[in-house]
Amino acid sequence: MRKSFGIMMMTLAVALAALPSIAQERSWIARETAREYQEQARYPEHSRALKVGETDPVKEKRTATKQTQRGPAGKNDALSVWAGAVSYEVGKPVRLFATVEGGVALEVTGEIVGAAGDLVAMVVYADNGKGVDQKAGDGIWSARLRMPEGLEPELAASYMVKVRSRLLDGDVRESVGGFLYSNPAAHLTGRYRDELRDGNLVIAAEVDVTRSGRFHLAGTLHSLKGEPLGTAQASAELQPGRQWIELSFYGLMFHDRKVAGPYRLGTVSLATTGGMPNALNDLVENAHVTRAWGIEKMTSKPFGNPRLLEAAKRLEN
Amino acid sequence: MRGRRPAVAAVLALALFAIAGQAVAQPCLIFVHGKQTNTNTYTSYTAARNYWVSGSSYFLRTATKNLATPYYVVGYNGTRPYFEAQSAGEVANEIVNATNGGADGGGRRCARTYAQGGTFWVIAHSMGNTVMDYILGNNDASDPNFNYNGPYDQVAARISMVVSVGGAHRGSQGADAVCGNNNFFCNFIASFIQSCDDATYWLRSSDDVQVRTYANAPAKTVWLTGGYEAIFGASACLSGEDDGVVQYASIFACNGSATASYDNSNVCNNSNKQEASGFRNLDACHENHDDERNAVDSDVRKAIPDGNWFCGSVRCAPNTTVQTSMTTAQYITLLY
Repeated sequence: MRKSFGIMMMTLAVALAALPSIAQERSWIARETAREYQEQARYPEHSRALKVGETDPVKEKRTATKQTQRGPAGKNDALSVWAGAVSYEVGKPVRLFATVEGGVALEVTGEIVGAAGDLVAMVVYADNGKGVDQKAGDGIWSARLRMPEGLEPELAASYMVKVRSRLLDGDVRESVGGFLYSNPAAHLTGRYRDELRDGNLVIAAEVDVTRSGRFHLAGTLHSLKGEPLGTAQASAELQPGRQWIELSFYGLMFHDRKVAGPYRLGTVSLATTGGMPNALNDLVENAHVTRAWGIEKMTSKPFGNPRLLEAAKRLEN
Repeated sequence: MRGRRPAVAAVLALALFAIAGQAVAQPCLIFVHGKQTNTNTYTSYTAARNYWVSGSSYFLRTATKNLATPYYVVGYNGTRPYFEAQSAGEVANEIVNATNGGADGGGRRCARTYAQGGTFWVIAHSMGNTVMDYILGNNDASDPNFNYNGPYDQVAARISMVVSVGGAHRGSQGADAVCGNNNFFCNFIASFIQSCDDATYWLRSSDDVQVRTYANAPAKTVWLTGGYEAIFGASACLSGEDDGVVQYASIFACNGSATASYDNSNVCNNSNKQEASGFRNLDACHENHDDERNAVDSDVRKAIPDGNWFCGSVRCAPNTTVQTSMTTAQYITLLY
C-alpha cells in the first residue's frame, strides 16, 4: 500500500513537472491583489508617488496618440492620423496630421464629423513646409482648421476626423481620428502658491471662473532635474470669480523618492466637469517652482487608506 | 484492509475541510456583458444571461463551477456610451444591489452581503470593461467625474477586483472602421458592432473618446485576459493580434497608441498600461471575441509578459503554450 502510494505520488510529481504549472494555488490572484492594495494604501487616492522612470501621467493623458489603419489584407502600408492635442479650446486653431507608413501619399483630405454624423468641415492636408506643416516632403501631412462659428459647445463636443489618402500606386487608405472641442468655464491665471500643511506639500492654483460648475485640477510634481515624482488631484464646485484650487502632494512621496525641494509643478491640467464629455483646458507645463522644502518636514507616515486595507483583509481571509 | 478505512475517512475529512474552507473564501461573481446592438440586455434578464450562453455552452455555468459559486448577472443598455446613466449608472447600481444581497433579474443573489463580509469579483467582457474603468476611475471625490450617475464609490469600496475578458479598455479599431465607413472589407460581427451607434462612437481609438481621458486609475485591480483568434475579414482591420473585434493594445490596456501592434511576446507588461496602476496581465487564449464570452472554444492558452503562468518557479516566457485546451470560463475557475 505504502509502495503503491509512493509510486503514485512519484508519477504525479513527474507529470506535474512536465507541465507548466499555473502560478496560483487557487489563492494566488487574491494574494497578489491584496499585496497590491496594501502597497497602494500607503497613499491617499488623491495623491501618489511615481516610480523612478515612470512617465508623467498628467502629460500623458493630454498627449494625442496616433490612430493607425492598415490597408486591406496583404497590404501593409498604413495610414496614421493624429491631432496636435487631445482637446482644443474654442477659438483656437485645430492642428491635424497624417502620414502613410510604408507607402507614398499623393494627397490627403479629411472630413470633420460630429457625434451625430453631421459633416461640419473639410480639410486638405499639405506636406509643403508652409503654415502648420513643418517640413516639406517629410511624409508628414498637416492641416490647420478653424472650427466654424456657431459650433461652440456648452461644455465640450467630440469630433471625428475621417481621413482619406490617395497613394502613389493608386490605392486609397482611410483612417479615423478625432479631437475634443472644449469650452471650459475656468482658466488658470498663472498664479500659484505653496505651503506645507500636516506634512504634505500643498500647491494652490488660482483659476478664473466664468461660469459656475465643477472643476478638476491635476498636477505632476517634478524634481528640478525634470524627473516626475508624484501626482495630486482635486475637484471643487466653484462660483464665478477668482478662486483657488489646492493640490495636496502626500508627504511620503518625498521620502520614497528621496528628493528634496525646491520642486517644479511640471504639468497641470484643468477641466470643467459635471457633464460628459468634460471640457479640457490646454495643458500648462512648468507652471511653478516651490520653495526649498526639506524632506524632514514631510510626513513619512503611510496614509493607511482604510478602503484598500479592508479589501486586502477580505482577500486574505 | 482494516487499516484502510481510517485512512480513507481521514482523507475524506480533509477533503471536506478543504471544500468547506474554499466555500468560505468563495467570492460572488458579478457578470457584466459587453456592447450590444439593441437594448435587450437592459430590458430582459434572459437576454443579459444569454449573452454568456451559446447552445449548450454556458460561460456562467463553467465559471461558477457548475453554478456552485454564487453569482449575479448585470444587464445594462449596451447601445449607450460607456459613461451614461443606462450604462455606467445602471451597472453601478446593480453591483451595489448585488453587494447588498439583492437579487438579479433571475432571482440569483450573492450568498453573503458586503456587510456580512462577502467578497465580490466582477467578470466583465468587452465594453463591460470600459464601463468598469469609468466607474472605478471616478470613485473618489477628487476624481473628475466622481459618482457621475451612480454610486461609483460604493462599487469601488465593495468589489475585490475585476477580471477583464477581451476588454475594450482603449476602444476598438472595429469601431473606427464602422464609424469611418470603411467596413466593407472588415465584416464585423453583427452582434457586437453593427453600426456607428452612440456606444460604438465612444469606443473608437481616438483620445477624445477614450475612457482614460475621463477617468483615473481604477480603484481596484483589473486583471486582463483576452483572445487572439482572428475573425476572417474583421481582423484585417485590426493592428497586431486581436480577437476579431478588439486589438491587443486595448484588451491589455496598453499606454501609447490604442492602435499599436502587439502580439503574445511583446504586448505591454504591467509597467506600460493606460494608467500608472490598476491593470495587470493574466494570459491570452486562442478564442475570438464571441468565444471569450460563451465558452464554446476550448483551445490553447499562451503566457504573456508579466502574466500569471509559472513554468516551475519562474514566469513562463511570453508566448509559451501553457494549456492546450481550456476556455476562459474554465480558466476563471482556477483563479478562485
